[in-house]
Amino acid sequence: MNKIIGKNSLLKSNFLQLLFKKITPAKANSRVFTGLVVVLAITMMAITAPLITWYPPLKTLVGEPFTTPNNYYLFGTDDLGRDIYTNVVYGIRTSLIVGLSSVLIAVIIGTLIGVLAGYYRGLLEDFLMRITDMTLILPQFLLALIIVAIFGQNFQNIIIAIGIVSWPGIARMIRAEFLSIRERPFIEAAKAIGLSDIKIIFSEILPNAMPSVIPYVILQINAAILIEAGLGFLGIADPNVPSLGLMLNTAQQYLMNAWWMAVFPGLMLSIIVIGLNLLGDGLVEYLNPRLRKR
Amino acid sequence: MSPLISFIIKKLVQYIPMMFAVIIITFILVNMAPGDPTFILVGEVGDEEFVRAARARLGLDKPLHERFLIYVSNVLKGDLGYSYLRSEPVAKLIIDRIPATLLLVLTAMFFSALVGIIIGTIAAAKRGVLDISLSTFSLVGISIPYFWLGQIILVIFAVKLGLFPLGGMVTVGRNYQGIDHILDVIYHLVLPVMTLAIFNLAYTTKITRGSVLEALTQDYIVTARSKGLPESKVIFKHALRNALIPVVTYTGFNTGVLLIGAILTETIFAWPGMGSLLYDSIRLRDYPVILGVFIYGSIIIIIANLIVDILYGLLDPRIRVR
Repeated sequence: MNKIIGKNSLLKSNFLQLLFKKITPAKANSRVFTGLVVVLAITMMAITAPLITWYPPLKTLVGEPFTTPNNYYLFGTDDLGRDIYTNVVYGIRTSLIVGLSSVLIAVIIGTLIGVLAGYYRGLLEDFLMRITDMTLILPQFLLALIIVAIFGQNFQNIIIAIGIVSWPGIARMIRAEFLSIRERPFIEAAKAIGLSDIKIIFSEILPNAMPSVIPYVILQINAAILIEAGLGFLGIADPNVPSLGLMLNTAQQYLMNAWWMAVFPGLMLSIIVIGLNLLGDGLVEYLNPRLRKR
Repeated sequence: MSPLISFIIKKLVQYIPMMFAVIIITFILVNMAPGDPTFILVGEVGDEEFVRAARARLGLDKPLHERFLIYVSNVLKGDLGYSYLRSEPVAKLIIDRIPATLLLVLTAMFFSALVGIIIGTIAAAKRGVLDISLSTFSLVGISIPYFWLGQIILVIFAVKLGLFPLGGMVTVGRNYQGIDHILDVIYHLVLPVMTLAIFNLAYTTKITRGSVLEALTQDYIVTARSKGLPESKVIFKHALRNALIPVVTYTGFNTGVLLIGAILTETIFAWPGMGSLLYDSIRLRDYPVILGVFIYGSIIIIIANLIVDILYGLLDPRIRVR
């Protein structure tokens, strides 16, 4: 029996295969491709930050305050004489770390709730979905803001707060996928051969739900990065961590004379968001043939 | 009971618990906070006597469940505490600021919906070159964060070109009255609305285009064309009309996003609304006001969603039956 089923899912497809099978044969989707290139380039910058910058991040007076961009200070310096280029590069790092780790938290909570609701159904489903819908209407940004304001403005709290407000969409998505997949014949087959619920959920349904969920998760990372930047812009940030949003907050006071303090951090933030949007939206379109025709 | 009234009651039953949820969440967060919740409910400053009086009023020495009831009844009465820093009740501070924020949100919503629907429909009708520039515009428009866009718009149009004021809602020191006052406000409104509308405009255009394209594939369009109707009539009268429902729904349900956008935009243009209040309160650590903005902001969003939900039912009878 084990030999027939193998170690993989009955429906022989892990989600990566499924994802790539859907992507590669079709004409190279320029949006997904461009998005991927942008995201990879940005990730490389974040990883190699110490190699491509010359000053320590957040160090004050590495140059004269308010130096206009030149060969030594590519993006100029800020009010405290910090090198903006260095802080922008490290800021990308912060954005990506916040995006990935808070969405990881959201995925864990969202999957748990989505699975319980979509697989077991009944009263539990009603209850969980009611809570999910409620949370979905609450302004995520303001909720994250008061959580950080109350529990203290440090990096860890910011990540946790964003994670806590980001799960409802993922939970709904997972539940919807579970509702449709659990009715398919191969699940019936899995039940017939006596697989346990846990096994069915994690090795049969979840891998098949992934292709639809992944683009959404990418867009959620995007949203998380924007929440972090928005909080920073309002001054809710960890002062010991370089943050693009916080840089824009400082820049606000000097907009009249030091435009470069606002231009470069914001430009980089926009590039990150554009890259992730291209990738996420492109994937959504790819996986939904109805949209592809347009 | 008519189906419409029972529909409205059903919606109310669905939404009112959400408002309680907001209050309950706030209470839980405040009481989970490390240390004494007093300083969050009262603010970090204040002399001893003031703090003692506030503690007694909020029942902070009573057990948790009694405190909860006191808190809920206070919030329901509209009592959100007192801002020691500004010597004013929090509720009054916020309510005074709501009209300015709503003016910003509604103006941006109106313009972006109007222009977005027109551009989106034209784009669906004339596909080709327009498509590429439009999809680039909507990608960029959706991606650029409000707060950066606002700063750039401010630097270009106010600092460099000097076309518009740097911020505020009225020209300081000129006590304009009547029509002059209105024109002055509009003059100050242009840049913040521009900032706020671009995201929505990009999104509305995208949705309208998709929705009209979809409508154009329907049978009744073939019928309309074969009747010999001019193409403009087919598109604007037959396709657009049926394509509008998702657009209207999006515009309505997007109020929340716009409100948050307004909060961020106000900070840049010193627009005297809830956002500027929130920004100042964060700097001053005026916690009662921060919590108040959360509660009021959430309730405004919930009410907006409720209104859209009900309107949606009025517009489309099919929804009511479900």
